[in-house]
Amino acid sequence: MAHPLLEKQAGQTHLLLGNEAIVRGALEAGVQIVTCYPGTPSSEVPDAFYQLSPEGPFEFEYSINEKVALEVAGGAALAGAKTMVTMKHVGVNVAADPLMTLAYIGAPGGLVLLSADDPGCHSSQNEQDNRLYARLAGIPCLEPATAQECKDMARDAFALSRELSLPVMLRTTTRVNHLRGPVEFGPLPEPEPVQGFQRNPQQFVPIPAFSRLMHVHLLEKLEKLVGKSNNSPYNTVRGDGPLGVVASGISRAYLHDAMVESDFDAAVLELGATHPLPKELIADFLKGRERVLVLEELEPVVENELRAIAQQHGLRVEIQGKGFGGLPQYWEYSTQIVAKALAVFAGGEPAAVCACEAPENMPPRPPNLCSGCPHRAAYFATRRVFGDEPVYSSDIGCYTLGLLPPLSMADFLVCMGSSISAGSGVAWASGRPVVAFIGDSTFFHSGMTGLVNAVHNDRNLLLVILDNRTTAMTGHQPHPGVDQTVLGDNLHKADIEQVVRGLGVTQVDKVRPMNLKATTAALEKFKDASGVRVLIAEEPCPLFARRVLKIKKPKVAYIDESCDNCGECVATLACPAFVVENGKTAVNALACSGCMFCLQLCEHIKAAPRSA
Amino acid sequence: MPDTPKLRIFMTGVGGQGTLTATQLLAKAFLSEGLPVTAGEIHGMAQRGGVVESMLLLGLSSPKIDHGEADILLGFEAIETVRALPYLKPGGVVLSSSEPIWPVSVSMGKAATPDLDALRAKVESCASRTLYIPAQSMGVQAGAAQSGNLALVGALLGMNIVPLSASAMERTLKENLKPAIADINIKALRLGLDAASQT
Repeated sequence: MAHPLLEKQAGQTHLLLGNEAIVRGALEAGVQIVTCYPGTPSSEVPDAFYQLSPEGPFEFEYSINEKVALEVAGGAALAGAKTMVTMKHVGVNVAADPLMTLAYIGAPGGLVLLSADDPGCHSSQNEQDNRLYARLAGIPCLEPATAQECKDMARDAFALSRELSLPVMLRTTTRVNHLRGPVEFGPLPEPEPVQGFQRNPQQFVPIPAFSRLMHVHLLEKLEKLVGKSNNSPYNTVRGDGPLGVVASGISRAYLHDAMVESDFDAAVLELGATHPLPKELIADFLKGRERVLVLEELEPVVENELRAIAQQHGLRVEIQGKGFGGLPQYWEYSTQIVAKALAVFAGGEPAAVCACEAPENMPPRPPNLCSGCPHRAAYFATRRVFGDEPVYSSDIGCYTLGLLPPLSMADFLVCMGSSISAGSGVAWASGRPVVAFIGDSTFFHSGMTGLVNAVHNDRNLLLVILDNRTTAMTGHQPHPGVDQTVLGDNLHKADIEQVVRGLGVTQVDKVRPMNLKATTAALEKFKDASGVRVLIAEEPCPLFARRVLKIKKPKVAYIDESCDNCGECVATLACPAFVVENGKTAVNALACSGCMFCLQLCEHIKAAPRSA
Repeated sequence: MPDTPKLRIFMTGVGGQGTLTATQLLAKAFLSEGLPVTAGEIHGMAQRGGVVESMLLLGLSSPKIDHGEADILLGFEAIETVRALPYLKPGGVVLSSSEPIWPVSVSMGKAATPDLDALRAKVESCASRTLYIPAQSMGVQAGAAQSGNLALVGALLGMNIVPLSASAMERTLKENLKPAIADINIKALRLGLDAASQT
């Protein structure tokens, strides 16, 4: 049976995740090439494309980072393919260099960039607002608020991009990526051949003489787009009166619910096509109002442009937004936040929120490294050898959870790949020993450049590559070093040790972190040395090993009766399979992964066959 | 659609309990009955043993529930039910599994073991109606601990507080799950349904 997203006929309605709806929209547009780097909240988009790729009418790759993903996608669009590239908001920082210039040289086949922003930092290191990137680059920006719009806007973004030969940003936020709602399907087109590359150096080679003109042409395209935005079906006006509300993104849904559940009435301008803004539509809307409230999460992007439009038209309308009625410039909005602001806007008092309180001192339940996680073993050995002396440089992945005590293996973190380069800087400036940790996928993403830089500049750094043979954090996506993907063998494997040696590192060792003695010995050896040293700690993620590699661990740990309950295993390892009941330490056999690491810590911990 | 019932259900549980699967299946069942449904979920680091929260809204556009807004709080785990109490509207309904999964801080003896009876009393003081069922045990009884999520859904339907019939839910399970798994889940659903009907 074909996957429901590949249904050829129009008319069916399915409940889809926002991210699945984006995939369907791209398929309805006839997408031909898809590239990506996974990252929450975008990951289900490439994962769905990956699952569909054996039978779908498109080509797909997991790229090694967002810059590469956008460059491959930009090249594909230059060759005439309808192309999509997906990433989370901070990924666009990595891809910003090609983005700025692709806007100049264009995208003849059509190029849609999914930027999945994360207001509220649900799973990110910042909450930057990538609508500003659309403005910086000079590309159109569409912002869906429902699953149906995710589908429709993804589809329409391709048509817009191809018509103007300009990349288009589809900008979502976590709530939109991860909402589920009904989506009515349109038809899937018959697959078409890729148009092919048409040589045109004046348009495609941005030497200064050409790029000066390209910038002028880009501005002309944007001017044309303002007219389109005025007539876009995604920019709509309803209602009338002296009060006006302008809403974009998911704030539109909050506005809808707040108005349904209150007496508040006003003229409403909903903006789905948010760059360039529909200037005439906005000016007409402002002309009829005395006061206008702008609802948008994060930066006051629409608000500030509205103020400019009002000034250009000499309108005395009062425009409110950030800071008004409790509307914050940080985190997410909600129906409640919007309802409060509307109440203040209408001249009333916001209703007090009546809510129950949870008792104090509830035991916390933070995310944890799984039982059997090789990162825990590598961290345990590192702490045993180095203690608190070094500065620990962390990176982005499951292993960031090593931040928590008792492992306490993260002193600072900037961004993907920074463990090596920022670690080099700390070592250089402070003269202190630095131990940096990076995962295998992150190493390929942007660790390699930092490593060759450290070698070239002779920095003093011990790098531990936590190679768990997959991209664990975002759901076991493949990377260049993996043996096997969910779809089969990796035919062109890049060996991390060879890469490290090829980058000029001479002090290299490789251990299985589950072997405490060997790992400790390798760390001891590197502790007494200087320069760039790399220890590769290789052991598959236990979830990946079980689900994809089909590795079974036949034994479980138990604690025998001679145990004196000193508690050291629990206090130093913090493996979630350990339990303490009435002062007695035990291992929960159901939670034990069978890694057998703990047997090396204490003579009272023993192995038993796993019962069926 | 003035006749559409407006309803907010906040769901909470621990990674691995099937909270998101239950949300998705429930939303599909509502949609199959022609009801305007939106659901939301928060992923990210939750799968590493952390808290998983999801929301289901009927007759509304947004996928988010704020403090004091949920008509129904559905707790797949006894401690998380209490932690999510701020989302409950005063006088809302709470349906929860009575069985705890101790956080690592408790199982390792670093945090005090919560008094489940006291937590339950706290929940009852906030809600107009409260029902606790041993959801995971019912799942085991039905054939798989993982189907405990559907026992809780069954109890929700048995309380007659959502516009959805058990037969519509069973149809959705059959349409979306492999036959053997659907059978176990339908068994769990019925166990939960019976438990709620007996109260």
